[in-house]
Amino acid sequence: MKKWFKSLGVAAMAIAITTTGVTAAGAASSLSGKIVINGSSALLPLTLQAANEFKKLNPKVKISASAAGSVTGPQSVRKGIADIGACDWDASMDVPGFKKFDGQVANRVAVIPFAAVVNKNVKVDSLTNKQLADIFSGKITNWKDVGGADADIVVVNRAFGSGTRVNFQLKALNGVDFMTKGSNYKEVKSSGDMKTAVDTTPNAIGYLDLVYVSGSIKALKINDVAPTEANVINGTYKVWGYGYYMTKGQPTGATKAFIDYVQSAKFQNGSLKKLKFIPLSAMK
Amino acid sequence: MIESTSNPAIAVKGELGRSIRTGSGRRTDRKNRLRFYNRAFRIACIASAVFVCLILLSILFFMFRTGVLTFQTVSPAKFFFSTDWSPENESYGAFVFIFGTVALTVLTLLFSVPISVFVAVFLAEVAPLWLRNLLRPILDLLVGIPSVVYGFLGMTILIPLLRQAAGTDLADGILAASIVLSIMVLPTISRISDDAISAVPKKFRDASYALGATRFQTTFRVVLPSARSGILYGVILGMARAVGETMAVVMVIGNTPQLADAFLKPTSVLTSNIVMQIPNVPFDSTWNYALYMMGFLLLAISLLMIVVIRVVQRRGAKR
Repeated sequence: MKKWFKSLGVAAMAIAITTTGVTAAGAASSLSGKIVINGSSALLPLTLQAANEFKKLNPKVKISASAAGSVTGPQSVRKGIADIGACDWDASMDVPGFKKFDGQVANRVAVIPFAAVVNKNVKVDSLTNKQLADIFSGKITNWKDVGGADADIVVVNRAFGSGTRVNFQLKALNGVDFMTKGSNYKEVKSSGDMKTAVDTTPNAIGYLDLVYVSGSIKALKINDVAPTEANVINGTYKVWGYGYYMTKGQPTGATKAFIDYVQSAKFQNGSLKKLKFIPLSAMK
Repeated sequence: MIESTSNPAIAVKGELGRSIRTGSGRRTDRKNRLRFYNRAFRIACIASAVFVCLILLSILFFMFRTGVLTFQTVSPAKFFFSTDWSPENESYGAFVFIFGTVALTVLTLLFSVPISVFVAVFLAEVAPLWLRNLLRPILDLLVGIPSVVYGFLGMTILIPLLRQAAGTDLADGILAASIVLSIMVLPTISRISDDAISAVPKKFRDASYALGATRFQTTFRVVLPSARSGILYGVILGMARAVGETMAVVMVIGNTPQLADAFLKPTSVLTSNIVMQIPNVPFDSTWNYALYMMGFLLLAISLLMIVVIRVVQRRGAKR
């Protein structure tokens, strides 16, 4: 009886798919398999949304997604725990603090913009890359040195290993090392904590994924360019990074179909945009 | 726990014999059935107790086995006494966190114990009955509030206040964390002390008053010393909670690996450092092993306290 219902369901779905005219999906719906995804928490909303949509098209594919932190993505892939490792940086290359993962392929799935943010009491609106690097490395310690009021700068940083931290360091600070000590320096655990810390600490500076910037904290212009999606797309705002799905070798089977789906124009211009990521095609 | 099962077993045996003598019907059937049930129950209890012990031992063993790999690349002296914790430069000195944990616990106890004992004395000796019945459930409720809530309140209310009072840019650090922890452990310590004080026999007080002592003298010379072991038990339980507390501490301590040589300097403790770094740590790296070693240290500290609790209890029972 159960079997009969199942085959009826499949038949109904096949009819629905062919009648709605999605010919490619008709072939893909015979796809089966299991995809395990682990890694970056910044990419998790995107992954979950894509998994939901993909499962509707391919009911035989099981997808489980979780997130612990960027570097766990490629690590899980290396250990064979996960098929896809979501990571905020290209883990097939060396980045500050992390060695490359040999034999892994980085598949770009989204563009993530980042912004330097300050507490609302800070009078400065724009900083150069050099000034940012000097502030985060501890060379400049007073806001008056960069055109603000006479007040100590409080630096809020993400913990070592955060994907946002890697990207911000590479793109906004020209790879300069962060300071690690001092009475006006603290580290926070997540983007949410960063937002609260900068929001409640006068004279604080930090950085966030652009999608997190809202409310009373202020996103700084970098080199007089405002951090907006338009400026990222037209190439004037440089502080952004790709989000990657790391796979062991070239992806195959269900994993390949899933990555293809995430990279497809339909998903990129639809759900991905709604989640405030920037489509890959916009950067070409 | 195993030792305490022996007494009830004997009691049940006696009960069993009587029920057989007085019972009617087919005696041997009932006897065998009862014996079977009793034995099965006994085995189930022992198996559960052994199971729990096995879990605890295997956790300890696993933490130690992974943690001890640290010493392949880092010398124990460097791990325990160096203050330089920078995983990006392969430098793993955990002294900052060990010191921070000890300092935080001591400071927390300095704040919370006197206040808790006064609360307990108030509840047990001074407060009228209706107030006592109102305050006790409230304190019990406070124990159940999730620590994240305390941490968030500390982050958004306490730290700005401290910042204003001290005139510093950042008020994160040992002082903020110990205030938050003191508020967290206060209900625990005061409720247990309250019970201990209430259990002191009334004749002690009567004798003291009969000798002409004041209420203050009675409380501090007679009642508190009599309740000493119970109060100590509460203090140790509170201390165990303070040592292991993570979520609240991580939000107010500042998470900077530097020695806490000032009350308002951002620093880090064992728990907060583990929770900050574990999501981003590469598997099979010295960094990972070092975090496990820190976890093992925390476990060891907690176990030590439990041993102390047992000793204190035993001494209390002897008196």
